[in-house]
Amino acid sequence: MSRRYLVVFAQAHNEFRIPELRSIAELHGFEFSLPSALDDQDPNRPYMVLYVQEEEHARILAKRCILIKSVYEFYGQGSSYEELHQNNRASRALWSRYILDTSFRFLVTAHNHKIPQARQREVVESFSYMKLMGKIDMKSPEIILACLEEYTSRHGFVRSKHEGDGQFRQVYFGRLLQEGTARSLIAKFDVKKRAYYGNTSMDSEISLLMANQALASPGKLIYDPFMGTGSTAYPTVHFGALVFGSDIDGRQMRGKGNPPGVLRAASQYGTVSRILDLCTFDVTRNPWRRGALFDAIITDPPYGVRAGAKRLGRKKELTPSQLATFTEHRMSPRLDDQPYIPPTKPYELSNLILDLVVLARYLLKPRGRVVFFLPTVTDEYTEIDIRQMLCEGMEVIANSLQDFGSWGRRLVTIRKVNDIQYPPPTFLEHQKGLATTHIPAHKGFREKYFQGFRKEE
Amino acid sequence: MVRLITHNLLACHVKGCNTNNFPLQFKDVQIELREAEFNPDFLKGFMPKLEWKALVDAARQLGDTTLPLEQPEMLDDEFLKNLHHVLLEIHVEEGVMTCSNCKHEYPVSNGIPNMLLAEHEIG
Ligand SMILES: C[S@@+](CC[C@H](N)C(=O)[O-])C[C@H]1O[C@@H](n2cnc3c(N)ncnc32)[C@H](O)[C@@H]1O
Ligand SMILES: [Zn+2]
Repeated sequence: MSRRYLVVFAQAHNEFRIPELRSIAELHGFEFSLPSALDDQDPNRPYMVLYVQEEEHARILAKRCILIKSVYEFYGQGSSYEELHQNNRASRALWSRYILDTSFRFLVTAHNHKIPQARQREVVESFSYMKLMGKIDMKSPEIILACLEEYTSRHGFVRSKHEGDGQFRQVYFGRLLQEGTARSLIAKFDVKKRAYYGNTSMDSEISLLMANQALASPGKLIYDPFMGTGSTAYPTVHFGALVFGSDIDGRQMRGKGNPPGVLRAASQYGTVSRILDLCTFDVTRNPWRRGALFDAIITDPPYGVRAGAKRLGRKKELTPSQLATFTEHRMSPRLDDQPYIPPTKPYELSNLILDLVVLARYLLKPRGRVVFFLPTVTDEYTEIDIRQMLCEGMEVIANSLQDFGSWGRRLVTIRKVNDIQYPPPTFLEHQKGLATTHIPAHKGFREKYFQGFRKEE
Repeated sequence: MVRLITHNLLACHVKGCNTNNFPLQFKDVQIELREAEFNPDFLKGFMPKLEWKALVDAARQLGDTTLPLEQPEMLDDEFLKNLHHVLLEIHVEEGVMTCSNCKHEYPVSNGIPNMLLAEHEIG
């Protein structure tokens, strides 16, 4: 790993950063490595130096990762300018080709701080030893050289302007290689601007991150078994994949009017032909003829807060005579989704998740991924919760928390590791001892949510 | 929607209906043709997953006779174009899909099939 690049991250979803980098590198078939010091791998820091083989790889990351703001060719860093300059001098071979006649401009900026103009000028002047002879061009320079100071955040501390100036943790220097272009997709897929959405629709940044975890790309077939209003689908088809969606409640996918809502939204984005099909069914009573169909499953399972988890059946079974009457009424089927809605019973989240992983193992191609959200109670969560949902042939490759305080949701990515064709799940209750052994924090999430996560006395 | 690729993957799943439950038979269908992006690699990768006879029959029933009765050895461009059209560009917008075995009818409206089962049909 010879080349070093400085990544500037967006200030959001810190735990998702490295999984996203890994996914995009895997998608494009290259590798990168993190800095060796643990401290420098900290995903909560705004800048990170990555080691990659080729410049093109750094560009690919910048263009596809939602959480990258920009990528610089890295020349040096230091906890003081002295140290920085020393390192930058050592990197001369990287920047000497810009000395003679490349127009340039300097950018001096900071994370968590605003550098006074006077010191910005001072910093620029301190690079005079580089002896850049090209003309300074503030509007459209051929290269931008940036000096980035990192200040540790001081939560809740109101600082007067410029206070603590120069007391940075680390300063970095490099040449702008590639602005991150994927972040603009967050606005493009903004739910509020979408032709069709509902109260289960998911924030566009999150659904873009999911599409990246799913390695969405042309020629892939991706499935959302809890399709709802289709939030996961739009970024996925944007990246070129085909999406199949199903939901127990056809109204979620249709909305009012024609064509169905999900297709109206996809048309708005110019990708309607990549919505392969939509289908109404209970995923626990599914009509799939065979497995090994999908490259990825990407879904936001129902966890009962907005859209209840349910499945076909009744809490209390009907008596034989009730069932006979019922069957008789049922015998004149009509031709659309509306008239007959079968009864449903609640579907407990921890069972649903166990089913989802076994279903994914059946429906995924070898090395396919299932990417889903798991809501959980922050205080009660332990890693066992995730390990416990695995079955033979499935392994966790990422698990990132989106923290809402007392609760949160984890974006979990699980991969099918082998090419064994496993049987479909039975969807029988997973009674095997969940109550007696470890109880995951997401069990009974809905009830806990409405109780405000208070511990029972 | 329903495209024939989907039709080729769905079987009747009524409780106890395990034989002759595929393919579902189209009835009273309304069809639309819509262009889709041609991706030969996707098609080649998907061919082993298809039930070929069911696909050819469904295509013929909907008026497309371009596919050979047997999957060919040589996947030339013309064949792939025809396969592309049959799998991805023929959309059943309205109609019914019926199970040959148990006669369950799955209605299709606005291109979305309703594969929900009634209470007496689940296990
Ligand atoms: C959290 S929402 C998904 C939201 C979706 N990502 C969106 O953009 O609107 C969960 C969805 O799962 C559906 N659902 C609940 N139980 C189901 C089941 N047993 N089978 C299939 N879908 C189910 C609900 O109707 C709901 O639309
Ligand atoms: Zn049947």
